[in-house]
Amino acid sequence: MTDLLDVHNLTVRFGVRRKGGMFARQTYLTAVDDISFTVRKGETLAIVGESGSGKTTAALAIARLVSGVTSGKVELEGRDILPLDRDDLKDMRQKVQVIFQDPYSSLNPRKRAEDIVREPLDSLTDKSDPEKREIVDQLFKAVGLRPEQKRLFPHQFSGGQRQRIGIARALSTQPEVIICDEPVSALDVAVQAQILNLLRRLQAEYGLTYLFISHDLGVVQHMCDSVAVMYMGKIVEHADRMSLFNKPLHPYTEALLSAVPSVDPRLRENARRILIPGDPPDPLNLPKGCRFASRCPVAAPECRESAPSLDAVTPSHRVACHLVEGETSPLATLSAS
Amino acid sequence: MAPLLKVENLRIELATRAGVAPVIDNLNLELAHGESISFVGESGCGKSMTALAIMGLLPEGIGRVASGSIQFDGEELTTASPRRLRQIRGNEISMIFQEPMTSLNPVYTVGEQIAEVLRAHQGLGQKAAWAQAIELLDAVQIPNPKSRVEAYPFQMSGGQRQRVMIAIALACTPKILIADEPTTALDVTVQAQIFDLLRDLRAQTGTSIIMITHDMGAVAEMSERMIVMYAGRKAEEGPVDQVITHARHPYTSGLISCVPHIMANLTEERHDLTEVPGIVPGLSEFGQDLCLFAPRCPRASDKCLSARPPDVPFGSARSSACWHAEDL
Ligand SMILES: Nc1ncnc2c1ncn2[C@@H]1O[C@H](COP(=O)(O)OP(=O)(O)OP(=O)(O)O)[C@@H](O)[C@H]1O
Ligand SMILES: Nc1ncnc2c1ncn2[C@@H]1O[C@H](COP(=O)(O)OP(=O)(O)O)[C@@H](O)[C@H]1O
Ligand code: SF4
Ligand code: SF4
Ligand SMILES: [Mg+2]
Ligand SMILES: [Mg+2]
Repeated sequence: MTDLLDVHNLTVRFGVRRKGGMFARQTYLTAVDDISFTVRKGETLAIVGESGSGKTTAALAIARLVSGVTSGKVELEGRDILPLDRDDLKDMRQKVQVIFQDPYSSLNPRKRAEDIVREPLDSLTDKSDPEKREIVDQLFKAVGLRPEQKRLFPHQFSGGQRQRIGIARALSTQPEVIICDEPVSALDVAVQAQILNLLRRLQAEYGLTYLFISHDLGVVQHMCDSVAVMYMGKIVEHADRMSLFNKPLHPYTEALLSAVPSVDPRLRENARRILIPGDPPDPLNLPKGCRFASRCPVAAPECRESAPSLDAVTPSHRVACHLVEGETSPLATLSAS
Repeated sequence: MAPLLKVENLRIELATRAGVAPVIDNLNLELAHGESISFVGESGCGKSMTALAIMGLLPEGIGRVASGSIQFDGEELTTASPRRLRQIRGNEISMIFQEPMTSLNPVYTVGEQIAEVLRAHQGLGQKAAWAQAIELLDAVQIPNPKSRVEAYPFQMSGGQRQRVMIAIALACTPKILIADEPTTALDVTVQAQIFDLLRDLRAQTGTSIIMITHDMGAVAEMSERMIVMYAGRKAEEGPVDQVITHARHPYTSGLISCVPHIMANLTEERHDLTEVPGIVPGLSEFGQDLCLFAPRCPRASDKCLSARPPDVPFGSARSSACWHAEDL
């Protein structure tokens, strides 16, 4: 399979005003800092990490939907989309669509469901009215909504149904890539399962590529083909599904996985919970070495001196940590000694 | 020993535009001294309402106890005076909520807010209250409590604000701590810190805990016993590990199997998630004399629509409100 999306050295900075002494001064917050990855066609790359780590910003930059200063390259089917303007951008927007977390606020309350779904067709394509109607009818069926629901307004739907409307809207332009930013976080578990099954079915049917952001690692494990773990704007680990969950290498990834509460009593007994104390550092005042050093249970003096680079340990597994040796995690080394 | 909390045949009615509906419909439960139980279920099933009823905080003019009783340490709460209920809320039963930002006052420092509770409920003087506020911040593991006591809520992270809420809830060493989705708004690593903190505090103080959550993993980590609620009724009750390994109610099974639980030794294999079709009914459908789960239930039969299933006991600690519980 070929790389559909190829991200090189993507950096996003926001101008912010910071109070310091008597005067507020203009400074930059680097929300996404020099990240690179590729996603193959038809696959799902999950992005995980704590709140504020830059997941949404990275994904929105890839959809050209972010207001910050962006540098680097985002190649979609081999073509850099960051310099595009006007007509070319329209074409690109058809290929990259977004599903948002909150099915309540992301739909215009004054529009009927069918108009919400066809909105991207109106603004991005020059299809005829009958063509658009035909597409909307098909989409309603594809996402499991009934034809008579086309005329209803968002408040007349449940949360799960609203998310189906959002999905139908994202599908309307036959996109290549769909960015799913916490698409099920606002939903109850039963409805979450309905939506996750739908997303996977649609992916198989239409060969969709997903960038899937979620803080729920169980959901990520179920949905992903590979995972990028972000911490303070950096990718700290990026691996295929099996490697990431079975052989995590970065101390932060291990802490994240061990923090998930488990229903399995055997798992709970065996779990060596790695508690990482405190909070992440101030994004406007990042340390010069490893950004995780202040919370890392195995931080060494060198970690505070220089930032680790994201290096490949196998062809499908990259990690940014000074203490990873070969394919051995520093925490495993610690508990063995 | 007599239970610390005993809820019997409790019926709470809410007056809504659509009419009066039983948001809690004949609920029975007990909580022992030092015990931790969880209420589980999708949103809209009445978990928070149960907690608010115990706290004497039902929405004024809308909710009322229609029948039944809530006994706390032998004392009847449903008929207690507002003054007595305030005393109990301050000193014996405390509650923490999902979004700590909305429950903290943005214009006072966290120290002032903790000290205020200590002055009002324990009659401490200014200085003693302040000193104890610092101690409490230390107990909930806020770093540098001596300086952080002067911080305003907005200067703290979400996890720290929840710790402050826990500090306030603990200020009066309550006998029961009710935690309503205390970590839903937090990252997993912070959730793990908060759970650890709650477990430690419980071990040290012997406080009973009622956890409200939709996360079975959290239930398993935090509680010995769980109560599954559906549409204002108790669907199933029992020791957590027993219920998880062998659910006696189709709703419980559905809740467990629809979630993609994280696996220790992941394999390439992937199946579709089990779906529980449909959604929780609206309040106006509560209270009918039938099984309210029937439209979503894979085992529903005619009998399920003919009458409300009673709580069927399984041994002394378990029960299930399902006509077909014996076959599950
Ligand atoms: N428009 C903006 N202006 C200034 N700073 C911003 C802006 N958008 C995001 N940020 C900052 O950039 C960083 C990354 O934010 P982002 O929303 O990408 O995080 P996230 O990983 O998606 O978090 P969450 O899990 O909370 O959604 C944060 O420090 C955030 O405060
Ligand atoms: N103040 C209120 N006024 C009217 N209805 C309410 C109010 N609070 C809750 N409800 C309704 O009561 C039912 C149970 O709510 P709640 O106890 O909050 O459920 P849970 O905590 O399990 O999500 C829901 O149908 C909800 O819409
Ligand atoms: S580089 Fe050092 S501080 Fe950073 S994760 Fe690795 S061991 Fe921890
Ligand atoms: S009583 Fe019937 S409908 Fe209700 S849970 Fe049991 S089998 Fe399902
Ligand atoms: Mg985000
Ligand atoms: Mg609730």
